[in-house]
Amino acid sequence: MSDYLADAARCSGCGLCQLVCPAWRQSADVELTPLGRCKALQHGAAPAELATSLASCNLCGACEVVCPERIDLFAMTRALRGALLDAPPENSALVTRQIPPATRAARCMLVADAALRARPDTLARVLALLGGAVVAEDDGADIVAAIASGSPLAPEHIATFVSQFPAGTRIVVADGLLLRQPLPWPGGSEVLGLGAALGALPAVRDCLRTGDLYVIEPCAYHADYERQVVRYDALRIKRRCEINLDLQRIAIPAGVGTLPQAADATAQARWIVQGRQLERIVIESENDRAAFEGLGICPVLHLADVAVKG
Amino acid sequence: MQLSLTGAPGICPVAPDALQGIARQQTNPARWRGEQWPEFAAAVRAAGIELRESIVSRGIFATDAGGQAYGMSHGVVVARSTDQVAALLKVAQQFSVPVTTRGGGLTTEGESVAFGGVLLDMSGMHCVLNVDAKALTVRTQAGIFWHNLAEELRRHGLDYLSAPLNLTSSVGGTLGVGGIDVNSSKYGCSADQALSLQVVTPTGNIVECSDTENAELFQRVILGYGQFGVITEATLRVRSYTPLRMHYFYYSSLRTAIEDLQLIDRSEAADYTGILTIMDCAVNLLVAFDSAQREATFLAAWQPRLRGFGERGFSLRMLGHYALRPWKLREALCLLRRKGEVFPEFRRPEYVRDGLMHDRTVVFSRAVWKHWGNRQMVIPDLATSAEKFADAVERGSAVCRKYFPAYTLYLVGIRLRPEHAGHYEMSCVPPDAEGWAYGCEFEPIVGDAVYSRDYLQSFKNAIYDIGVDLGTSYYRFGGAMKGYIRRVFGDAVVDRHLAMKRQADPAMILNRDVIF
Repeated sequence: MSDYLADAARCSGCGLCQLVCPAWRQSADVELTPLGRCKALQHGAAPAELATSLASCNLCGACEVVCPERIDLFAMTRALRGALLDAPPENSALVTRQIPPATRAARCMLVADAALRARPDTLARVLALLGGAVVAEDDGADIVAAIASGSPLAPEHIATFVSQFPAGTRIVVADGLLLRQPLPWPGGSEVLGLGAALGALPAVRDCLRTGDLYVIEPCAYHADYERQVVRYDALRIKRRCEINLDLQRIAIPAGVGTLPQAADATAQARWIVQGRQLERIVIESENDRAAFEGLGICPVLHLADVAVKG
Repeated sequence: MQLSLTGAPGICPVAPDALQGIARQQTNPARWRGEQWPEFAAAVRAAGIELRESIVSRGIFATDAGGQAYGMSHGVVVARSTDQVAALLKVAQQFSVPVTTRGGGLTTEGESVAFGGVLLDMSGMHCVLNVDAKALTVRTQAGIFWHNLAEELRRHGLDYLSAPLNLTSSVGGTLGVGGIDVNSSKYGCSADQALSLQVVTPTGNIVECSDTENAELFQRVILGYGQFGVITEATLRVRSYTPLRMHYFYYSSLRTAIEDLQLIDRSEAADYTGILTIMDCAVNLLVAFDSAQREATFLAAWQPRLRGFGERGFSLRMLGHYALRPWKLREALCLLRRKGEVFPEFRRPEYVRDGLMHDRTVVFSRAVWKHWGNRQMVIPDLATSAEKFADAVERGSAVCRKYFPAYTLYLVGIRLRPEHAGHYEMSCVPPDAEGWAYGCEFEPIVGDAVYSRDYLQSFKNAIYDIGVDLGTSYYRFGGAMKGYIRRVFGDAVVDRHLAMKRQADPAMILNRDVIF
C-alpha cells in the first residue's frame, strides 16, 4: 500500500494531472483532482475529508502518466480509499482449482468482464480471433472490486484467481484494472489487455479505416503507457482513424471498466466525438457501448466485430 | 556590519539596503487580518455564492508555482459565472475584503497567493463558448487553461497564436501578464492575441472592452496584473494548426547565438525562434517553420549566414574541446547526461514524424516540467530592448554561475505591435524597446540540492537588480517583486497608475498586494 502522505508531499502543484482528469473536466473543481488531494494532505487533511474527492476518481490512471514527479497516484488513491473502510473485508477460504483438461491445453485464456459476457456473439468472435481462447471461469470481479475500493487484496482471492491459468499461457484481460495491480501470474505467462491483443491482429487492425473513432480502454492503456502510446499512434497513422487520445496522447475515458461511474460517461463520450466526422465508433471495452450508443450518431462496434463487418 | 553569504564581512544581498543607493521597498505583503469577515461571508452566502472555508479547500492555494510565498486565504470561491464574480466583487467592495484571483497559479512571486481575504479560483470558468473557424476567432471563458483551449481548437483544425510553454497557464492570467512562446517573435506576446474581453471591474460592473469599445479599460486590463478587473471572457485571434519543421543550431558562445537569433527575427526568416541553453558552452538555437516553402527559403538564404553547428558537427567540436581539456571531464559528462535526458523528449515518435513536430506545446511543456528547473519555479527574468539584450543575458549568466553549479536559459524575441503601445505602459514590455523586445529566463537546475528561501530570493534579486541597472523590465513583476516597480518605471508613472487604480477600486480589494 502507498504511503500516501509521503507521496502527497512530493506534489509540486504543477497541475498537469488536472488537464487529463475526467473529474476535473466535468466539475472544474480542483478539490476533486489528484492535485487537490495532494495539496489537501499537505495541509493535514484526513482521508475522511477527501471522501467526495476520492469517490469522483474513476481510476483511469491518466494522472499518473503525466505526473512529472512520478507519484504513484493510482496506489495513492487506492490507499486513501482503503483508509476510509471501516474494516477489511473478510477473506474467503483458499480454493485451489483443478484446471480442466480443455483449459490445461489452452494457449490463450480470456478474462471476460460482465459486459463482454453479456454479448455472447461478440464474446465468441473474440475467442475465435484469439485463436480459440478459453474463457476463464473466474473473471476476477472480486479482485477488480477490491482494487477499486482500496480494500487489501486478499492473498486467498488472488491465489484462487491465478490458479486457473496454466503456466505459459497468454492471458487477455477485458478489464484493464487487472493490469494496474501486480498479481502473481503463472510463470511464463504473457498478460495483456483485450485491445492490445485484438489490435495486434492484422485481421482486426486492417479493418479500421478513415471515419472510425477507435475508443481505447484507458486503464490497460495507461498501465503500459510508454509502449502503448507508440503502438496506438502508429495504428492511427497507418489506418487514418481517429482515437480517443488528447494532445498529450492520454486516453480520454468515457466509462471505466465495471466501476460505478463517478463521471458522466455520456458527457465524456460527447466530448470525445465533438468536432469529429465519424462513420463508426469502435470500442475495445463493451462498458463503453452504452455511452456512445446513447449519442445516436453512428454505429458502435466492438473491435472484434470490426473484423467481421470489415 | 553586514555578513555576506560566505560569512565574511561585506554586503549581504538579502539585506534591506542591499541594492546600494536605491531604497528597497517592502515586498512581503502583510496578511489581511479579517475585519468584517463573518459579515462578509454571510453576505456572500446570502448572494448564493459557495464560500469554502475549510483548511483543505484553502490549503490547495497556499502557494504558487514559485513555492516561496505562502499565504492562506480566509475562504475560497470557485468562479462559475460572470454574474457570480460580479456579485462577489460588489460584496467585497462593501466590506473591504481583499480578493485575489488565480488561474493556473503559475506565478512565481506570490502574485496568485492570497494573504487573507478571498481566493477566487478562476479555473472554474473553463468553457469554450464559440469557435468561428471562418473569422479565425474564439470566445472562451478566461479561466480555461491554454492546453484545454488547444484541445478544443484542434477539433476545428485550429490553434491559438501563442501561449506560455507550461500547459497550465490560464488564458485570463496570461492576458493580464503577457505570455511568451517560441513564436512570440512573429505574433507578439500572448496577450496581443486578445481582440476583446468581458471584464468584471473591481466594483462589480460587467463591461465588454476592446481597442474600440471601452478602450481605456482594455488598455489597463491587458498586461495590467489584475489590477483593473477580472477577465471573465476573452475573444482571441486563432490560426490554422500546423506541425512544425524544426531545425537546431548549436553554439559555444551565447553572444553569437543571440546575435543570430536577432538576425533571424529582424529578417522575419523563421516562424519560431528561441534559445535554450544546455550549458554556457552548449547553446541551442531552435528555428522552426509552419510551411515547407518558408523552410526552403530559410535554408537557402539564411542558414549559410548562421554561425551555429548541426548536432553532429557540434558534437565533434565539443569532443575536440574536451580532449584538449581533460580536467573538464566532469563538465563533459554533465553535458552528455543532460543531452541523454533531454534530447529524447524532443524526438518522441508519437510527436515527431517525417521531420515534423506535432503538438509542439505539449512536447516543449512536458520537457520543461520534467527537465528544467526544479519543483519550485525559480526563474527570474529580464525583458529588454534588442540592444541591451546580450549584455543583460551575459550579466545574468554570471549571476547564475555565482549561485548555482548548473542552470539553463530560455531566450525569445517578442514582436511589439505599435498599435498596442497603450497596453504596454508599465508592463513587461520595456519602455525603450522598439520593434522587438527580448526576454530571458534564468533557471537554476537544482536537482536534489536544498537551498534556503533566502538564498533563492537573493539569487532572484541579483538578477532583478541587473534590470534596474540596465533599465530593463521584467515578465514577473508582481508579488515579492513589487518593490521593483518604482525603481524601473519611476514614481510619476506608478503614481498615475495608482491613482487610476484607486478610482477603479475604491476599497483597493482586487489583487491588492500584487504591484501597488
